[in-house]
Amino acid sequence: MNIYEIRNVEVALGRKKVLKGIDLDVRKGEIMALVGPSGSGKTTLLRCLNRLIDPDSGSIRFEGKDIRSIDPVELRRSAVLVPQESIMLDGTVENNILYGPRIAGASRKVDVAGCLEDAGLPPRMSGREASRLSGGEKKRVALARALALEPRVLLLDEPTVGVDPRKVDQVERTILQFSERRRLTVVWVTHDVPQAMRVSTRIANLKDGRVREVKETSEFEWEGVY
Amino acid sequence: MTGIPYTPEEGALVLAGASVLLIVVLLISVWKKMGIGREFVVGLLMGGAQLFGIAVLLTFLFRFDDDVRIWFPPVIVLIGLMAVIGGRRSAKRASGMPGAVRITTPAIIAGAAVSLTALALSRAMPLKPQFIVPLAGMAFGNSMTICSLALDRLVREFEMNRAAIETRLSLGASSKQAMEDLSRRCVRAALIPTIDRLKTLGIIFIPGAMAGLLIAGTDPLVAAEYQLIVYLMIVGGGIVTSLIVAVLSRSRFFNENEQVRDWI
Repeated sequence: MNIYEIRNVEVALGRKKVLKGIDLDVRKGEIMALVGPSGSGKTTLLRCLNRLIDPDSGSIRFEGKDIRSIDPVELRRSAVLVPQESIMLDGTVENNILYGPRIAGASRKVDVAGCLEDAGLPPRMSGREASRLSGGEKKRVALARALALEPRVLLLDEPTVGVDPRKVDQVERTILQFSERRRLTVVWVTHDVPQAMRVSTRIANLKDGRVREVKETSEFEWEGVY
Repeated sequence: MTGIPYTPEEGALVLAGASVLLIVVLLISVWKKMGIGREFVVGLLMGGAQLFGIAVLLTFLFRFDDDVRIWFPPVIVLIGLMAVIGGRRSAKRASGMPGAVRITTPAIIAGAAVSLTALALSRAMPLKPQFIVPLAGMAFGNSMTICSLALDRLVREFEMNRAAIETRLSLGASSKQAMEDLSRRCVRAALIPTIDRLKTLGIIFIPGAMAGLLIAGTDPLVAAEYQLIVYLMIVGGGIVTSLIVAVLSRSRFFNENEQVRDWI
């Protein structure tokens, strides 16, 4: 079953056409990697998937519904985007994690420690000032913050950029583990093709605003990406 | 004391004397290549013409201040002009924001209306042109300043914090929730000069109304009391203006789908 059905999506930013007719399906529960060179439209497509922007033409269906008929705020709570730049909100790590559920008016108890652990951080970190964390810690808090919303889809934009190279595999492993445990669908944008091959079930190769090919990861050959 | 210590004719001579001082300043600015000479002259001519224009109008209005049918229409036109000009001037502070005048004009009108209503209800502003025109000028001027500060700050802060705002949106915040902190900061920043002025009233400067009353020979205690009443009501209007700017500008930053608009 497809969670996203993307058909002939076109987006222009200013005068530049960034997406030129994207066709792509994302299956429920899979980790779909979007690879391609800078400027190929990966991030723009990701931003369309949670309606931070809307396509100029074409259609996107989410769980069978036209995305334009879904309240954008509700959609963003179900399909949470974790941007490349991990900006911490004011206050402690706990404040950051509780932000999404709090503004959604969630009555359920949020398992802050569980979210931190899933993101590979010790629960004792919850009281620390978020702005003072290291780059890698901020990345993980951003992931934990997204998990607190209990989303069905995670949209990850270069989640290991800026992470200490020795810790990249740890972050990858963390994401794979919580995705499996929480049965999440993940759309993972990366310019790092070997990483895409390590983490994904399928890979979509974007170039110049178009999907060049979509393949099972085991069949993907990365020489043609750049 | 009887107010200004010279007749209108003597005043013209003093004005000519003061102009000599300005010419000296102008020559220095040309000599030092400060690049403000032209703007200075234009500002001086415009300001002077406006002052004398309003003086002529006030002379006419004061003559008929017992006949509301005569003074009311021009006073309303004058207040309307203050609102339109204030709104347009303030909108120029919102670099690139489309339709900014539709935020600034209502915000300034609402702020000034609150001030003037409070002044009228407290009888600090008897309903005569002698009171309405200068107090309306102060109320609109103050609202315009606060509106410009709030809007300028909002646009700049939004540009600087766009990524943080989109992070909040991505976590399921509505545009209102995503802008909450930023709006609060900007409203506070816009009011800082007014609050600072309140703290230094009478020490670093004597405000316009009190200065006018003192020059006209009013008892300093009465002048201070009146100034404070006027100031507090004008501050109240300013707060209303800044809050309205924050609320109305949201629709300029975000579209109906809670997305950041293209212009920013």
